[in-house]
Amino acid sequence: MTTWHVDPELLARYARGEVAETQAFSVEAHLPTCAHCRSALGPLTDRERHERVWLEVVDDLDAGQSTWVERLLVRLGVAGHSARLLAATPSLRGSWLAAVAVALGFAVVAAHGGHDGLVVFLLLAPVLPVAGVAAAYGPGIDPTYEVGVAAPMSGSRLLLLRSVAVLIVTTVLAGVAAVLLPGIGWEAIAWLLPALGLTLVTLALATATGPLRAAGLVALAWAGVAWAVWRLTDDGFALFGQAGQLTMVFLAVASAAVVAARRDRFDQGGAR
Amino acid sequence: MDGYVASDVELLGRVAEGDRLAFRELYDRHAPWLAVRLGRRCPDQGVVDEVVQDTFVAVWRGAARHRREGEAAAWIWGIGIRRLIDRLRRQPARQRELAAAAATDGTAGTVPSAEEQVLLGVEHGDLGRALGRLSPELRAVVQACVLDGLTTREAARLLAIPAGTVKTRMLRARRRLREELA
Amino acid sequence: MSVEVAGVAKHYGRTRAVDDVTFTAGNGILGLLGPNGAGKTTLLRMLATVLAPDSGTLRLLGRDPGNTTQRTQLRRRLGYLPQEPGFHRGFSAFAFVDYVAILKEHTERRARHDEVRRVLRVVGLEEVAGRRIRALSGGMRRRVALAQALLGDPALLVLDEPTAGLDPEQRLRFRELVSRLAEHRTVVLSTHQTEDVAALCQRVLVMDHGRVLLDGPPGEVAAVAAGRMWMSSEPPAGALLSWRTAEGRWRNLGTPPAGAELAAPTVEDGYLLLVGVPERKAIA
Repeated sequence: MTTWHVDPELLARYARGEVAETQAFSVEAHLPTCAHCRSALGPLTDRERHERVWLEVVDDLDAGQSTWVERLLVRLGVAGHSARLLAATPSLRGSWLAAVAVALGFAVVAAHGGHDGLVVFLLLAPVLPVAGVAAAYGPGIDPTYEVGVAAPMSGSRLLLLRSVAVLIVTTVLAGVAAVLLPGIGWEAIAWLLPALGLTLVTLALATATGPLRAAGLVALAWAGVAWAVWRLTDDGFALFGQAGQLTMVFLAVASAAVVAARRDRFDQGGAR
Repeated sequence: MDGYVASDVELLGRVAEGDRLAFRELYDRHAPWLAVRLGRRCPDQGVVDEVVQDTFVAVWRGAARHRREGEAAAWIWGIGIRRLIDRLRRQPARQRELAAAAATDGTAGTVPSAEEQVLLGVEHGDLGRALGRLSPELRAVVQACVLDGLTTREAARLLAIPAGTVKTRMLRARRRLREELA
Repeated sequence: MSVEVAGVAKHYGRTRAVDDVTFTAGNGILGLLGPNGAGKTTLLRMLATVLAPDSGTLRLLGRDPGNTTQRTQLRRRLGYLPQEPGFHRGFSAFAFVDYVAILKEHTERRARHDEVRRVLRVVGLEEVAGRRIRALSGGMRRRVALAQALLGDPALLVLDEPTAGLDPEQRLRFRELVSRLAEHRTVVLSTHQTEDVAALCQRVLVMDHGRVLLDGPPGEVAAVAAGRMWMSSEPPAGALLSWRTAEGRWRNLGTPPAGAELAAPTVEDGYLLLVGVPERKAIA
């Protein structure tokens, strides 16, 4: 086998794209098998472009290591940097979402068991995003909390971003579960406004007590009110009637105002 | 390490273990020819740059799975051309333009000069001349299926023609070449 | 002066974690030396704007951290390494530092990634940037945490026990790094390693029970033990503390008997005297 190499002049013209097709065929059939000609081609090509693409490759390698949550969010159109902030949310992790799904599953099963079961579902669904908010951000929840507080980005922005994401995701999951409820009626969405209301109340309270305690208080209050109403009216659905829904709207709006006014409170590491 | 030149296979082995320096060496060896060769199938430099980038990211991630002797360049080419096809597929109208442009690049159809024929003659000679006498459409199909190693379906995607057309053109090209070289 | 602390105090219930601390700091390295519970972390958290003091005034880089706008401006020029740096599960070193970079408001992707690569290079971790943090050794994790503190080239660096868990070689590396950084910055770090202090700090604050016992160069700390250190071949009865050196002799701290062979005091000796040796448990 003769050691044939591409003529340097031809190689140079090939590099510049000034070569007829058949000659190009020849060169291209040869290159994959000849390291010598490949390395001869190197210096003949655009070095600046070569370096530029290398930087993109390295950037892709380093930055490309991300969790599935992040990749999914980017696919859904969320901005890269927001996606990264969200990917770090404990209550958006697979394990948490699985737990939520399981809880909803049990509630759906309970609902199929009878009238009372349906009330259980309606009571559970609004509390799930509240729990999610508790597990979204805060000391003891987010391992990088200290570093985050010392950073210029406001804590409220991070908490709100994550809370919105948690609310949306949990609502979607509850919505899917609601489809599986027996007899689609108004029950299927009676929990929506309460979910929004309770979440906003939690955020408002969190400006004073931190997300964890706020969530606990809200969950307790919700359970207490539900029990009291059920006892007094003997109708589990009373809470979700028109009066209940309107109360929720009022609470949501009032809480949003409180959050807006007190959002600086998330910025410093509180009493501890 | 002075004067020692590692083979591509050795480099790939190191890349599989996360060696960035070996990866850079591999990039320096193969990115230039890949860029030029892809550039002859797609005149859009931006697209070619992105495909080269994606190819090497795939090389980094897949290095562990490919360690066969002497096939690094062919493997890299396989990744690159398929990424290019995928990329072009997503822009159908533009793809037709590019494919058409690539298939009939300015110098196609020119007869190689006597000098060039001599240069070529050592390796391909008659075949080269015969290829030169094929029409650009037939030559494009030969390039895609024979030189680039694409399947009929992939060639069809690259050239923006139906797979059936690829098959008939390949048959015609083969017949013509046989006639020429007989 | 980049750091001006006046009469700052912080209590938790009846415990005074920081009690009427006053000092200033400029370019260079200020070390906080003290035992656990001395109030170093609480003080550093106040310097890092993570905690607000109960009383006293704080001025950092010419700004008042109690004012919201100024606090945000201040945080843009601040780097903080907490005592127990935490990481997100599943994140690679690069992704984590990138995450903090986003918190530090580097929103433009390309520039941010270049900055992340820069700080990882400074701490010598660019080769393992793509590796998951849980797959990194303790020393490397600490370097990742240090890297995030360096993002954005801060004018004030607050480092809480930055050398904890590092082996001697890593500690040396760290000292080199911080010395270089401190040429044009203010670095405040805490440690209970007296060798770090002796090697690194231009100034030391010795703290205990929330108060500053001494504020001065390391030599001044050592000078506290001047005339209180002596060598002997047997452990003497009246020493506060004695230990055996590698050469087999005894090094003693306390009131030396007449004619004793005095030894040159080190920072550690002075420190031990300051924080009150008799109250400490026996040192193994």
